[in-house]
Amino acid sequence: MLKRLAKLGGFAEDAALVLLLTAMIVLASGQIIMRNVFGDGFIWADEALRLMVLWLALAGAVAASRADKHISINVMSRFLPPKGRLFARVLTNLFTAVVCAFVAYHAWQFVSLSKEFEDELLGGLPAWWFQIVIPVAFALMSWRYACFVIVDTVGFFRPARNVAAES
Amino acid sequence: MMIVFGLLLVVLALFGAPLFAIIGASAMWSYYREDIDLSALAIEFFSIAEMPVLLAIPLFTFAGYLLSESQAPSRLVRLTRALLGWMPGGLAIVSLAACAFFTAFTGASGVTIIAIGAILFPALAEAGYDRKFNLGLVTSAGSLGLLFAPSLPLILYGIVAQVPIDDLFVAGVLPGMLMLVMLAGYCLWVNRGQREETVKFSWSRVGAAIKESAWELPLPIVVLGGIYSGYFAVSEAAAVTALYALIVEVFILKEIPLPRLPGIMRESMLLVGGILVILGVSLASTNVMIDAGVPQQLLAWISGFVDGQVSFLLLLLLFLLLLGAILDIFSALVLVVPLILPVALQYGIEPVHLGMIFLAAMQLGYLTPPVGLNLFIASYRFERPITEVYSATFPFLVILMLSVIVITFWPQLSLVFVS
Repeated sequence: MLKRLAKLGGFAEDAALVLLLTAMIVLASGQIIMRNVFGDGFIWADEALRLMVLWLALAGAVAASRADKHISINVMSRFLPPKGRLFARVLTNLFTAVVCAFVAYHAWQFVSLSKEFEDELLGGLPAWWFQIVIPVAFALMSWRYACFVIVDTVGFFRPARNVAAES
Repeated sequence: MMIVFGLLLVVLALFGAPLFAIIGASAMWSYYREDIDLSALAIEFFSIAEMPVLLAIPLFTFAGYLLSESQAPSRLVRLTRALLGWMPGGLAIVSLAACAFFTAFTGASGVTIIAIGAILFPALAEAGYDRKFNLGLVTSAGSLGLLFAPSLPLILYGIVAQVPIDDLFVAGVLPGMLMLVMLAGYCLWVNRGQREETVKFSWSRVGAAIKESAWELPLPIVVLGGIYSGYFAVSEAAAVTALYALIVEVFILKEIPLPRLPGIMRESMLLVGGILVILGVSLASTNVMIDAGVPQQLLAWISGFVDGQVSFLLLLLLFLLLLGAILDIFSALVLVVPLILPVALQYGIEPVHLGMIFLAAMQLGYLTPPVGLNLFIASYRFERPITEVYSATFPFLVILMLSVIVITFWPQLSLVFVS
């Protein structure tokens, strides 16, 4: 059940990335054609494209956390023994999960305020429809890193040879 | 308390915590100390949706991944070889030129080493070049071309420093050429005793190579011509590049089967997400630092022992080389540029020139231990121990360092064509 849910989540993420990027290419190129053929593009297109950049950035960030491919420095852990490396991973992932949870919570505050004040984007649509991706994405990343923490903690208490075999 | 927290963040970063979390935590901590509501972080983050030029980043990155997955890299190598292979030491120069060109078009994600280096490495060995020399050449050429349009770091610098990106594209031409020429000179000098079998220049070979690349050749002409003539905005050029590369590689040449496309899209967007999420949290952290007067404090501190432009540049260079050794170019750009730009302005340094210094110095960061990205990619791709890659790359690093010094202390080189 959990596995199927994870698979579904991964599929949704990939689909979101592919759809957003495709839409972005089509809309951005369409805008150039419109400008040259009809002398003017869609008024809403530039704003929509900018919002798509934000969405794509967050979808990419969530996908990067699934693949554990976020930019990091990580110079020290290669000097650690396997157990120590796992321990460092648990700590850094726990830290990341907590930070993402904080960001998600405060981003949610921002979105509720924006909802309350009825901010608008794209000529009349509620701004919070577009802003809600920020808390959602950070909540998903927090969840992802929390899962890493659980998996690695379990691994940490398993016999040493299993740990070595996995890492 | 503040120092303890700062140290804790540094330790976590060194043990591999994602940089965006480190920067986000430090931003929230500063907000908390300054008594600002923490939801300000989200407001800053949302300003990613208020920068029109950012559109160029996902589009160029995708186009670059697409091109490197197709047969375009080998066509590029064949074409460069047909054009330059007749020179003595030709293949080494071919390698430098092809890498620089490819890096400019694909950002600076280390993809050049995998796409182009992997073709050149065996070819160089076959032509009789020393293996260690090859390894150093291919590794260091993997980030060459960073200063040429339309490379991602150039665009990102323009966004962060609020400098017209067209100016940066013009400014990068001569410093980039300087790096190329100095490396080429080194390659010729090292191999002066060796007679590579040079192929005679033949128009029919050039013709065949051009014909083979007929679909890709319009791309740089349209994009660079469009940008430099002012016809396209940078983000439009990126859209054209992405659409064109997609149509050519997937539908006309059919080198990338359609089912593989989603995977390539996803891979490229992982990098984009990684960069932009760092940009988002950095916007928050640098803003709070600017509000707290960090640039002024920095200036006051520096002016305590630096009195002129020359000594400032020297200090800046040392700092950037250190920074490049520990941070990747994208994080360094978004984190550090907003803080040092006001200081550099006080010492009479042009923002465009600062950009050239910054990027050129950061390019060395790809080749310096302990975190140099190119070193690891080359070690992995060519299956050589990392220490061998270090020592093979070292002479090239020295040459590049010399070129960075020239770029730093010769502002006219960067500024001569900038109006």
